[in-house]
Amino acid sequence: MTSETIISIENVFKRYPVGDGEFTALKDINLQFKRSEFAGLVGPSGSGKTTLLNIIGSLDSPTEGRAMVLGKNISELSHRESAWLRNKHIGFIFQVYNLLPVYTVFENVEFALLLQNIPADERKKAVMKALEWVGLADMAGKKPDKLSGGEGQRVAIARAMVKKPEIVIADEPSANLDAANTHAILKTMKKLNEELGTTFLFSTHDEKVMGYLERIVHLRDGYVEQDEIISPKSMTT
Amino acid sequence: MIKFLLKGILRDKTRSLLPIVVVSIGVMLTIALSAYMKGAFGDMIDQNARFDTGHVKVMTRAYLENKNQMPNDLALLGVDSLAQSLRQDFPDYQWVQRIRFGGLIDVPDENGESKGQGPASGMAIDLLNESSGEAKRLNIETSLVSGALPTQSGEAIIGHDFAEKLGLKVGDEITYFGSTMNGSMTFQNFKISGTIRFGAAVMDRGAVVVDITDAQQMLDMQDGAGEILGFSKLNVYDDEQAGRMAEKFNAKYAGDSDEFAPVMLPLKQQNNLGEWLDYADMMSGIFVFIFILAMSIVLWNTGLLGGLRRYQEFGIRLALGEPKGRIYRNLILEAVLIGAIGSVVGTILGMAISYYVQVVGIDISGFLKNSTMLMPSVLRAKVTPELFYIGFIPGVLAMVFGNMLSGIGIYKRETARLFKELEV
Ligand SMILES: Nc1ncnc2c1ncn2[C@@H]1O[C@H](COP(=O)(O)OP(=O)(O)O)[C@@H](O)[C@H]1O
Ligand SMILES: [Mg+2]
Repeated sequence: MTSETIISIENVFKRYPVGDGEFTALKDINLQFKRSEFAGLVGPSGSGKTTLLNIIGSLDSPTEGRAMVLGKNISELSHRESAWLRNKHIGFIFQVYNLLPVYTVFENVEFALLLQNIPADERKKAVMKALEWVGLADMAGKKPDKLSGGEGQRVAIARAMVKKPEIVIADEPSANLDAANTHAILKTMKKLNEELGTTFLFSTHDEKVMGYLERIVHLRDGYVEQDEIISPKSMTT
Repeated sequence: MIKFLLKGILRDKTRSLLPIVVVSIGVMLTIALSAYMKGAFGDMIDQNARFDTGHVKVMTRAYLENKNQMPNDLALLGVDSLAQSLRQDFPDYQWVQRIRFGGLIDVPDENGESKGQGPASGMAIDLLNESSGEAKRLNIETSLVSGALPTQSGEAIIGHDFAEKLGLKVGDEITYFGSTMNGSMTFQNFKISGTIRFGAAVMDRGAVVVDITDAQQMLDMQDGAGEILGFSKLNVYDDEQAGRMAEKFNAKYAGDSDEFAPVMLPLKQQNNLGEWLDYADMMSGIFVFIFILAMSIVLWNTGLLGGLRRYQEFGIRLALGEPKGRIYRNLILEAVLIGAIGSVVGTILGMAISYYVQVVGIDISGFLKNSTMLMPSVLRAKVTPELFYIGFIPGVLAMVFGNMLSGIGIYKRETARLFKELEV
């Protein structure tokens, strides 16, 4: 069975106005990602990883070229449509775990479902399930400041996964974690990738993370230096 | 979603406490001041009506012109028939006659020699005839400091402070010296039946209250009176009704050029009370406006600071797929909730203060020592139903307005730019 392409980046440029001129952060990017890939953008700081992930996540749009995500042209989406795409189909995990401090673990994970107007009992079931995936069901009532760094990032994974999105974007998820926690969260994500078929797109320059990736796209100065398939799963199954 | 927002407001004290305190204080002050103005001006109007203007007053045109001089030579004559016709034409009102007079009070010793004197400002009312309601209207009974109401002709009540100054007590004799309606000298002895404190500085200065029949005799004005006052039997001043009555009454004399023809004036057209009332309304309006403005500015700033503090939260919510229009709307919804909480607290506090000032009052007699205005010595607030919204609505509006201004930055910016700024 051949997986369909769900992300297609075609001749994408991203330019930022800087002073009188422009700075080109992405230069003629061409990339395709298929369903249930476990892939990463790797490159030094400033190479354009976040910029590209934000375009795929519909938080930003290309200056030139076309970015198709789940059949939608990112450039043509209204605010409302791009919010809808993020809400329904894309989960985000950031470098800092970014939990809302006044809400409990449960409420943080619940928020995405609240936006979808899902009934309370269904929400509860889904949230508890997501917390079980990351092994934090017993922490549901805790506030974020009572969690360790690794636990916080696992809550962030649960929050990204609770709505069962098709794509999860993880921008340097291990930057603030020690080795043990890094391995723990990557194992969790790998498991979810296998069980639910969710596509994971990382950005990282962490060797430990790279060890889990099935495909590594090397970025340098805004262009693709190398597109490296490590394990064949992402191509065919 | 409201539950979610409420949880955030209640748990994040730094987000909610300051705005709630600001709104509470603003609402509290708005309510307390409104109640105070209402009470103060209401009391002033009420006291003027009872002591001076009536709800409407009938005088001769000439008397009206020289009203401040108590010009009894210009008084109404044939008042009994005039009062009778007023009763017939306007049965919803009670009509009473009064005479104001000035003069000198002299206190004689055993030998008839003067042992003390003072200028008196006299008021003659229908005291002995209980159906006139005058004793009650002027609160004479409750204002008595010593003694009792006159029960017969030849008795007088005098101001308590005046009595003390002259060394008088109940049962003593005083002599009134003055001039009659025709300008000749007159004097008359009265026995003090009681001393009184009205609680209005103008009234209490040298007050002498006697029965109108005694005064008519003493001033040589049989069937005459300076003024006929009309009081609504419902006991409330209705400006429109009073105006219509005056118009109807005055129309009868429109073609009459006689300066002694009677003229009727509603309360609002006497003693500048209309201007005072308009002034009170305007001041209340200005107060409320200033409070809303000041509160909005403060809340705008706290909203801006709160917004900065919450940039990260907005970024997360944006990434989780909350449209920024909805973030903005939820921010406003939060403002409504915070504004409502603050307004409830402020309304409760404001009502409590107003109620306290209504019951206990603020003694301003010190300021009124030399006042010529008829004002109560104790100002009281008045708690009215409108107090429930007069502060509440502005409180919520100010909070919403302040947050709309501070939230506009979020609404206007490009999602991508916003997200970049929000990123940590
Ligand atoms: N809003 C912006 N304006 C100007 N330059 C930007 C902006 N955003 C990013 N850049 C630049 O684009 C380049 C790529 O940034 P980024 O995608 O964040 O890199 P990475 O995530 O790989 O570290 C950097 O040199 C950065 O300075
Ligand atoms: Mg980056």
